[in-house]
Amino acid sequence: MSSIGLLQKRPFNSQRFWRQNGRLIAVYGLVVIMALIGVFFTERFLSERNLFNLLRQTAFLGVVALGQMLVVLTAGIDLSIGSLVRVSVLVSAILMSGDSNNTLPAILITLLLGAGIGFVHALLINRLNISPFIVTLASFVILRGVALTISTSPIGKASRETLLFYDQRVGPFSILFLLFVILIVTLIFVLRRTIFGRYVYAVGGNQEVARLAGIPVQRVRYGVYILCSLLASVCGLMWLSRMGVGDPVIADGLELTTITAVIIGGTSLFGGRGGVMGTIGGVLVLALLANLMVLLNVQQQYQGLIEGIVIVSSIALYNQDTH
Amino acid sequence: MNQPDTILDMGRISKAYAGVPALREVSFSCERGKVHALVGENGAGKSTLIKILGGAVQADSGEIRFKGRLFTHLTPRLSLDMGISIIYQELALNPYLTVAENIFLGREPNRAGVIQTRHLRQQAAELLGKLHVQIDPDAPVSELTVAKQQMVEIAKALSRNADLIVMDEPSAILVGEELEQLFKTIQSLVAHGVTIVYISHRLDEVFQIADTITVLKDGAVVGSRPREGLSHRELVQMMVGRSLEEVYPAPIGQRGEPVLVVDKISNARLKNISFTLHAGETLGIAGMVGSGRTELARAIFGADPISSGTITIKGRLVNHASPAHAIRNGMALVPEDRKAQGLFTALPIRQNITLPILNRLTRNGVLQSKRETQVVEDARHKLSISMANADQEAQFLSGGNQQKVVLAKWLETRPSVILMDEPTRGIDIGAKFEIYQLMRHLNEQGVAILMISSELPEVLGMSDRILVMRDGQLVGELPRETATEQAIIERATSGVEVS
Repeated sequence: MSSIGLLQKRPFNSQRFWRQNGRLIAVYGLVVIMALIGVFFTERFLSERNLFNLLRQTAFLGVVALGQMLVVLTAGIDLSIGSLVRVSVLVSAILMSGDSNNTLPAILITLLLGAGIGFVHALLINRLNISPFIVTLASFVILRGVALTISTSPIGKASRETLLFYDQRVGPFSILFLLFVILIVTLIFVLRRTIFGRYVYAVGGNQEVARLAGIPVQRVRYGVYILCSLLASVCGLMWLSRMGVGDPVIADGLELTTITAVIIGGTSLFGGRGGVMGTIGGVLVLALLANLMVLLNVQQQYQGLIEGIVIVSSIALYNQDTH
Repeated sequence: MNQPDTILDMGRISKAYAGVPALREVSFSCERGKVHALVGENGAGKSTLIKILGGAVQADSGEIRFKGRLFTHLTPRLSLDMGISIIYQELALNPYLTVAENIFLGREPNRAGVIQTRHLRQQAAELLGKLHVQIDPDAPVSELTVAKQQMVEIAKALSRNADLIVMDEPSAILVGEELEQLFKTIQSLVAHGVTIVYISHRLDEVFQIADTITVLKDGAVVGSRPREGLSHRELVQMMVGRSLEEVYPAPIGQRGEPVLVVDKISNARLKNISFTLHAGETLGIAGMVGSGRTELARAIFGADPISSGTITIKGRLVNHASPAHAIRNGMALVPEDRKAQGLFTALPIRQNITLPILNRLTRNGVLQSKRETQVVEDARHKLSISMANADQEAQFLSGGNQQKVVLAKWLETRPSVILMDEPTRGIDIGAKFEIYQLMRHLNEQGVAILMISSELPEVLGMSDRILVMRDGQLVGELPRETATEQAIIERATSGVEVS
């Protein structure tokens, strides 16, 4: 008698449901709780102005967190994001120097720069077999140095269109937020319904199995690192439209915030598991937290403590689901 | 002569993993101060038995009597406290600590929490002295040879006052004189009343060191005999002496054109290997673990580079630079280690199956879910994979079903040559049978199969021809009609006389 049939009948289903969805439920549960705190304990949370700003803020972290997530899904990491955002805002501000005619070239060159840096990351990881952590750590230090060399005080100027873009609305929403939503939908589609998406999970799931299955592991890596750096440059451009100048102190520690959002969202640092909706949940948690702490007048020195507690407890919440 | 003093008596131990029996009423006993060899093929149950003794795994039934105390099960702590030490193949040492620190790790001589460094070194030096080995107690373990690291493990066992030391394939990591040194150490331990359980599949070694030899096969004890009076031949028969079961479908008996021609390929692990694989044929590759079988498959598949020689498929020269090339040329590799090389355990079954053929399932770059589901459903029926649904993670399947998923993945690429490395390892007999039938079915369709296996009945039952490997070389070709287990073992092991 074959025992295969018997082996499969494990009374697992409800457990599996929680394992597969527990992380999402936990993270969005946290989002709801925080929103309720905002509704009941602050006066301004539900104001149109606050919500508009909150959603616009999520776009800033969200764009780079999604880039980080792509890299982490392949079991990599990108520590250079903050520095690259900073370099991007400086370069684009200088190139634009307040002239409308320069808007498009400045944007294109900045994006090219970002893509180029992502290409170099993947090149070093693929060809020299250096770990992503080290490659992007070096890149983080180098780009920070580059930013310092360019300027230590605000420099350059956004064109008029670039500045206006920041406050533009479509209906009740910020255009930045809507573009972010389009990015979300696109990425969900890419990850679920394209070959590249499948390959991303495969490479992160097990690089050796992927290679033996004939998957172009190196090309997948070029893809995710280029996208990640490209999105960091996009974030730099968003900062330019917000500040109007090349501000050399923005995005400090942003790479760590993106990693935090990715982890809270349930994407495994070992790769192969996780996804867009989780990461967005993580971004929302962090954005709401920052917003609430401002609205509740939490003193600066306690903010770090609270943030740390939220991070650990949000992870602990679904770790208990899985074990 | 003293009357036998039994230190360990494991009685009627049974253990099943997810319904698949690994041990069936195994009884194993050891006499104090003797060397007991435990031999058997891979998967015979040696390591399960040892894990039960070490408390890492709990038996389903049976009992363990050690130094007169009776246990139904042991925990790792209890096992250590009772004086049982197990030295695994993977040594459990911290490479960055010194020899002395490793020996006393977790039990450092201390006063109020402060480690007494002098005591630590002194005691370590004494222990190493007892073993007659020259090792500096202050040297970091990473600077020692593997053989010396093994000695440190033995010293660690002694520092715990172990009465029974289990060595799991200790010779696998040793070369030449190191083995002699290990044997000397074992003899001196035994002289001091320590009992040794020595696990190995190298028969010449077993004959050299053991007082008693116990043979395990398919989770049961075949026999336990004193070395004296036991011949090589008898031992080999005990190890392999199973008649061929009627689980192997008859070969189709006619082969077609040559599809794969391997001509004098060499690399770091292979020496000058040549053979031809024909359409519709199953060619078996036998040899001991480490003989280069797996490396041969990997080299043909482009997973490892070759330094010289040529590989030709259907008359075209195709020295594969990567697995991707091999796959495009109609090849597939079902690897030995399913979980590390064949399966994405954390990904859904669906994605595991369709990964190599995603190109066929897209329109304008977008995956067509319906077509994908169709492919997965077809595979599920063809291979009778039992699963809750296709979005289940592959890790929740039984070994047999996991292997079917790996096979399904490759069958979708419609290969003309399939390399199968241990195609039925760790799966139950029902699924094995299904895989054998699938292999025959593929042969009938003209697919050529290169099958590597450690299970000799499988090699004999499935192969049209058998190639035997040793030390990275082909050392014999046996036609199906005249091949026997003894003939294979003779060629696969040097120094074993089976006349």
